[in-house]
Amino acid sequence: MSDNISEFISEKNIVLDLSALNQVDAIKKLATLLKENGYIDNAFAFQSDVLEREKASTTGIGNELAIPHGKSKHVIRTTMMFAKNEDGIEWNSLDGSKVKNIFLMAVSSADKGNEHLKMLANLSGKLMDDDFVEAIKKADSKEKILKILQKRGNER
Amino acid sequence: MKIVGVTACIAGIAHTYMAAANLKKFAKKENCEIKIETQGAMGIEDELTQAEIDEADVVIFAVDTTVQNEDRFVGKKILEVGTSKVVKDGKSTIEDAIKLAKGE
Repeated sequence: MSDNISEFISEKNIVLDLSALNQVDAIKKLATLLKENGYIDNAFAFQSDVLEREKASTTGIGNELAIPHGKSKHVIRTTMMFAKNEDGIEWNSLDGSKVKNIFLMAVSSADKGNEHLKMLANLSGKLMDDDFVEAIKKADSKEKILKILQKRGNER
Repeated sequence: MKIVGVTACIAGIAHTYMAAANLKKFAKKENCEIKIETQGAMGIEDELTQAEIDEADVVIFAVDTTVQNEDRFVGKKILEVGTSKVVKDGKSTIEDAIKLAKGE
C-alpha cells in the first residue's frame, strides 16, 4: 500500500468522549474538529452535506454504531474521525439502538480511487465483523482504538 | 449454491462495502460460494465476468441506485434489496436468495 494507514489515522482523529447532546450536535462537534485539524475548509458547509446524506437514509447501522459521511467539495483531504459518546444518541438506527460509537467519514469530491478511499471501504467492511465491533466498543483509550483501526484498516 | 451480487449505494463510500462484507459473511455460513462486485466511489471492483454470472444460481442486487451494466444479468433470477436491509440483516437476504434459487 503506497499510503500507510498510520499516516491516515492518528490520535487526532479520535475523540474519547464527544459529550454530544444529539445527532446534529455530534456531527457539528466532529466537523469543528476536522476544520481545526485542516481536513475541511468550512465546518458548517461540511456539516450540512453530512446531514443531507443522513436525510436520504439513516447511517445508524445498529449495534450502537453510526457512520455519518459526506462527500463534499469542502473536504481538503479524505479522512475519518472516530468518537465515543458516553450517553447513547438517538440516530433512528436500523435496530433502534442509541449510538455510542461514531465513525464520521469525510471524503473529498475530487477523490476517485485513492488509498484513503480504499481504507474507508475496508473499515466499512470491518463494521460487519462482530469481533472488530466488540473490540472497538470495549477499547477505552486512544492507543487501543488506534491500534484496532490501524490493524484492521490494512487488512482486506 | 453459487451466488453473485452487486452492491451500490448513493455516496459509494460506506454502505456499498458494508453490504458486500455482510453478504459474504452470511453466504459463507450457508456454505454458498459468493462473489460480489462493488460499484462505489472507487468505481467497479471485483467485476463479475459473464461466465461467473452465467454459472450463478442466483443474483443479489443490494443497491440504492441503478446497477451499472445491468444487461449482463438478463434472464437471471435476481433478488433486489436496499443496502440498509443487507447491513441490518444479511442472514435473511442470503436465505431469501437461496429460496429464490430453489424456486421456493
